[in-house]
Amino acid sequence: MQSKLSDIELIQQTLNGNQSAYADLVKRHQRFVFTLALRFAKSREDAEEIAQDCFIKAYRSLNTFQQQSKFSTWLYSIVYTTAMTFLRKKRVSTSSIDDDESYIQIAGKPSGYDEYNVEHKSRSYYLNQAIQQLLPDDATIITLFYKGEQSLEEIAQALGMEANTVKVKLFRARQRLKEKLERNLKNEVNELI
Amino acid sequence: MNSIEKKLWNYIDGTLPAAEQQAIALLIEQDEMYRSKYNELLQFNQEFANMDLDEPAMAFTYKVMETIRTENAMKPLKAAIDKRIIMAITGFFVLTIAALLIYALSSVNWAAGNSFEMPQQLITGATDANHYFKGPVVKAFLFFDLVMGLFLLDNYLRRKTVAKRP
Repeated sequence: MQSKLSDIELIQQTLNGNQSAYADLVKRHQRFVFTLALRFAKSREDAEEIAQDCFIKAYRSLNTFQQQSKFSTWLYSIVYTTAMTFLRKKRVSTSSIDDDESYIQIAGKPSGYDEYNVEHKSRSYYLNQAIQQLLPDDATIITLFYKGEQSLEEIAQALGMEANTVKVKLFRARQRLKEKLERNLKNEVNELI
Repeated sequence: MNSIEKKLWNYIDGTLPAAEQQAIALLIEQDEMYRSKYNELLQFNQEFANMDLDEPAMAFTYKVMETIRTENAMKPLKAAIDKRIIMAITGFFVLTIAALLIYALSSVNWAAGNSFEMPQQLITGATDANHYFKGPVVKAFLFFDLVMGLFLLDNYLRRKTVAKRP
């Protein structure tokens, strides 16, 4: 069961030496941090490594967190820089993956038309597929905006950008996601015909 | 079309000024093209908001906490000592030495010419101090100091040797 204490209260307890309070913080944010890491890493193992690294870095510098922003905003800025460093180290190509063959499936094994028909695949499956085909930056902004409960200003703070830049990037990212989603669905319909 | 979509996304996000927000609402009400585009984007917006978050492995939190515990256990005692204690001890010694120096210098008879004369109280104090350095307790204290000094020197030299090793 997760703690009902606020992030700030858990941080105070952690700073006072209560490590289980930090475990609660990790449990609370791990899904989102892991999802963000997946936007960059494209493999579960690498994403877990990035996410783990982020929580350890956050623990080490918890006493420097000045509480001027939300803990989540501060944590996401760590995720972003850690993931960027990871990408640089691994030299993973950050170009958009337009080729369906090279698409790496995150949720389970690839499932072709022979096994499932389009009715069995939920819209969220196609949405996840489309998100994976986006550039990491685009996917990150969309995830932060829709699932991270972050305002444009907070996203800008986490990514080290201007709020206006984020606004423009969000618009473009949504356009690209919409196009990819439509195309994936169209391809699926064509396969059926 | 792009600018219409831009306006409509801003309208959906609620980032437009109130006047523009009203104008767009009116356009959606009156213009069929705006209305259908708005409904389309609204549906996408809903879908994006319902996207699933991925779940890391079951042992994720355990792994993080285990790494933190291991790091803490490996932390040297030096790092665990509160720096304020060291600062307080340093401050005490600095103040004592400074006070002693100020007192000594202010009591010196500068008018005595070439010969430097220490204040009588300090000279008497120093002579009296010899009396205290004779007992067995003082000898034990000095011996302890010597052992501690050798121990610290040994520690210092060992650390230097380790640092030089490739």
